Amino acid sequence: MSVDTEPAAVAHAAGSAPTQEVVWHHRHLLDVDVVTWPEIELIMRTTDEMKGILARPIRKVPALNGRRVTTLFYEASTRTRVSFETAARNLSADVVSISTATSSVTKGESLVDTIRTLEALGAEILVMRHSVSGAPYLAAEVFGGHVLNGGDGWHAHPTQALLDLYTMRQHLPGGDLRGRKVAIVGDILHSRVARSNIWSLTAAGADLWLCGPATLLRGMDRWATAWGGGAIPGHGRFHVTSDVDTAVRDADVVMALRIQRERMQGGLLPSLREYAARFGLNAERVSRAKGEAIVMHPGPMNEGVEIAPDVAISGRAVITEQVANGVAVRMALLYLLAGAHEGAHAHEAGHAHEAPHAREAAR
Amino acid sequence: MTDRQIMTGDEIRRAIVRISHEIVEKQAGTQGLALVGIQRRGVPLARRIAAAIEEHEEVRLPVGALDITFYRDDLSLVAQQPIVKGTDLPFDLNGATVVLVDDVLYTGRTIRCAMDALIDFGRPRAIRLAVLIDRGHRELPIRADHVGKNVPTSREEIVMVRVEEIDGNDEVSIGRQLRAGEPAAAEHP
Amino acid sequence: MNALGPGVGDVVERFELEKAWLVDPVSGREGPGEIVVIDGVLESVVWLEGEEAKGVTDKGVVVAPGFFDLHAHFREPGFEDAETVATAAAAAAHGGYTTVAVMPNTSPALDEPGVLERIRSAARASGSPVEVLAFGAVSAGRAGEQLSAMGELADAGVIGYSDDGAPVRTPTLLRSALLYSGMLGLPIVEHAEDLELTANAEASEGYVASVLGLAGWPTAAEVNAVSRDLAVLADALRDEPRVRLHLTHLSTAASLDLVRRAKAAGLPVTCDVTPHHLALADEWIAGARRWAWEALAADGSSRDPWADGALTAPPYNTSLRVNPPLRTPTDAAACLAALLDGTASAVVTDHAPHTVVDKEVEFGKASNGVSGIETALGVLLALVDAAKLPLARAIAALTTGPAAIVAGWPAAATTPAARKRGLTEGAPADLVVFDRADRWIVTEESLRSKGKNSPLIGRELPGRVLLTIAGGRLAYEDPQAGEE
Repeated sequence: MSVDTEPAAVAHAAGSAPTQEVVWHHRHLLDVDVVTWPEIELIMRTTDEMKGILARPIRKVPALNGRRVTTLFYEASTRTRVSFETAARNLSADVVSISTATSSVTKGESLVDTIRTLEALGAEILVMRHSVSGAPYLAAEVFGGHVLNGGDGWHAHPTQALLDLYTMRQHLPGGDLRGRKVAIVGDILHSRVARSNIWSLTAAGADLWLCGPATLLRGMDRWATAWGGGAIPGHGRFHVTSDVDTAVRDADVVMALRIQRERMQGGLLPSLREYAARFGLNAERVSRAKGEAIVMHPGPMNEGVEIAPDVAISGRAVITEQVANGVAVRMALLYLLAGAHEGAHAHEAGHAHEAPHAREAAR
Repeated sequence: MTDRQIMTGDEIRRAIVRISHEIVEKQAGTQGLALVGIQRRGVPLARRIAAAIEEHEEVRLPVGALDITFYRDDLSLVAQQPIVKGTDLPFDLNGATVVLVDDVLYTGRTIRCAMDALIDFGRPRAIRLAVLIDRGHRELPIRADHVGKNVPTSREEIVMVRVEEIDGNDEVSIGRQLRAGEPAAAEHP
Repeated sequence: MNALGPGVGDVVERFELEKAWLVDPVSGREGPGEIVVIDGVLESVVWLEGEEAKGVTDKGVVVAPGFFDLHAHFREPGFEDAETVATAAAAAAHGGYTTVAVMPNTSPALDEPGVLERIRSAARASGSPVEVLAFGAVSAGRAGEQLSAMGELADAGVIGYSDDGAPVRTPTLLRSALLYSGMLGLPIVEHAEDLELTANAEASEGYVASVLGLAGWPTAAEVNAVSRDLAVLADALRDEPRVRLHLTHLSTAASLDLVRRAKAAGLPVTCDVTPHHLALADEWIAGARRWAWEALAADGSSRDPWADGALTAPPYNTSLRVNPPLRTPTDAAACLAALLDGTASAVVTDHAPHTVVDKEVEFGKASNGVSGIETALGVLLALVDAAKLPLARAIAALTTGPAAIVAGWPAAATTPAARKRGLTEGAPADLVVFDRADRWIVTEESLRSKGKNSPLIGRELPGRVLLTIAGGRLAYEDPQAGEE
């Protein structure tokens, strides 16, 4: 970490124009689609600082002292929830955890009522995970504080995409993803990780390939076609294929997504064994990527299905780094969100909506 | 509104030299001393003090930089100044006598944050404070051990310190309001 | 005076309107004119010519026959939290409707005459003169197993049968229902949906659903069901020439095309489309708020709202969750084309009020339905303003279109439900007066329905209804109008 760094001179993206001063004004973070590229770089820089804090003997700063962060998880997920809670505690926030198995939600309380109750109990920042796409948008309409989406249905998982991006930048020369091939292999159809990564990686200029069996790619080709030819300002095109060798060949990053057992019952996959054989990231497949390519996985892993055990622990796998980076990214986002509400550029209360930005093509 | 220059480049240089002597005098030597500049302008000032000490004592003291962004008690500044500038403490704080260096001492809140931050990194034997300008209006019981210049000011005034390493020249001036383009970080409580 | 407001339900003693634009879809005539209503009868309809007609255009005050909604949900009995017959009738009149046919998915279902009597009694008690007709359920309890008391329901006066909310569950049951109801001279009104393909579906399968991570509702679900229904109809026709099938709220180009070809082949099938399928598209779920025709590229393909910067509202608004789902702008254009070429003979509202409890939830959990009976006219006028639909065709779709469909059902053809809806001297006054030069903002307060689940809330719509007279009695009067 350099001392007295001029912000304009930071070159996280080698060869790019100096990053302009950017002010964080988003009251919520529901998906990466509304975050501009300069804002993504701000998140990356802030994450760098947070990693610095995590390297200290005392891994804590008082930035969010006295602020209440409440995690509201409608889907069981120990890893992500603990990651958010750790991030909040590292910033000295007070943390309250609600996991719905043990709350009044099982008695049929609606999402809106739950959120209003939590707000009355002092929640200021709500970290939400829900199994229905779009739920955090409803939360943002009724909650007076900040909503940070910890994953909604199949739709979005912004903190995962950002920590994935951060991890990739740490391993690519100059932290620059432009032109770098990234392959994401797995159940794309049901994956919020894939969707958020589409937004962030196409904004980063990566050559993104999504791969999986045709049943788990339904609808994605139409999306890829719509985005071909640079239709969306600030986002490049991406590719969809059911041929894993095409996806992985010469890739700089290979990411496996978890395959769930339920997909077999739903008639989408013949068997997990067949998936592993045709799509699993084994040593032989991964060897077709570039020699210095990294292997990623959002976790938790089904070793032997989407990723072979030896690949998961190999030197190329950066999965534990992702976990560590996840805490830092979440610290950065909690910090930025907490500051946004009080800042000069805060949106009016109740006006939760933001449209996806038309990003500048040049970064 | 014209600004009033209150220190020239030469006056700053002489003040730095005097402060560097005072620091050594107070410590009765250089043993155990370390300088920590508070981001941003405290950092080049700390380096200059260390250089001056090296000149007359032939000892190179460790110099660090401290970013207090995450220790502020006022998050409303995040929106205006989200970019952190970095903390770098390349020496062991435990048992060291740390001299904090900042450009302007005003309400004392920055120094309080800086002390909180330092103590998270280790347990210094003592913490002292050297500032280029003390403009009064303390809100906390904080005082500087070494002062370049005492400048009585009113609350409507702004003290602007320019250093070569960041601003291209050395100068201290007082103005009544921020001019367009003037970095807000020139003034901090 | 009754609970609905001063004068509502009373015979209109005298009402005169000069220099308005009259539209008579029965004679096909439209133009400047004047009307006089005395003691509930449309005594005089005068068409103006020459000097007298000067300055009167179709952009000002318009007089048309009262509208006929062939598909609405009044929720009573059983779901009075969402709507009652009284509030629905008030909403209907506010929308310019004087006759509404309600669907039988009440609780209990309308599968025997006792329930019909409850609805009629509620209509009488409301004091509203809006005529409430009803479809009986096809199956007992809408359970899809046994036929409902079809004969008894026919005697009690239903105008047809439907399991709407759901399709008739099996092809075998549909065939039996068609034959039996055909024998009675009444139609089956079918909600065409292949339930197996739409299990857990949330939004129309396609680009928007893919990006928003919503489970897709395939086009095949409607096409498959329509194919099935038409095939069964063709078979049943061989046994009973009076079988009639009406496919309601069709939403895809492909299924409308199937109906087009079936009609050309002589099958006794009709269909309708809703205002929301004509004017809204699935991109609204992503946050777009432009009319469907504004989202069409020159080549007829659907534009990309993310590319256009068209997303101006928060995504996942549950008032957009409807069955069948909002489709692409291309499908909306196909609905309009079907209306223009007569494949679809009517616009129905599928008015589906819901409580806040059912709608202020996550998108995937929200009940399906749009509260649309009050905004139908405004939406059609937006199409007229955009030169997509002539005014006379819009009026016909709301009046003579549905009347002609009913007239095609042998037993219903002889009832007042099938009467032609025109501006006929000497007939009981049954008309709506609206001002195209005026606009109104759709808000929770301005909607008379209990159902505030309208995606148009906050939007300004063209055309303010000034007066609705049903069967000679006052049904609705704009509070600010001073026509009398």
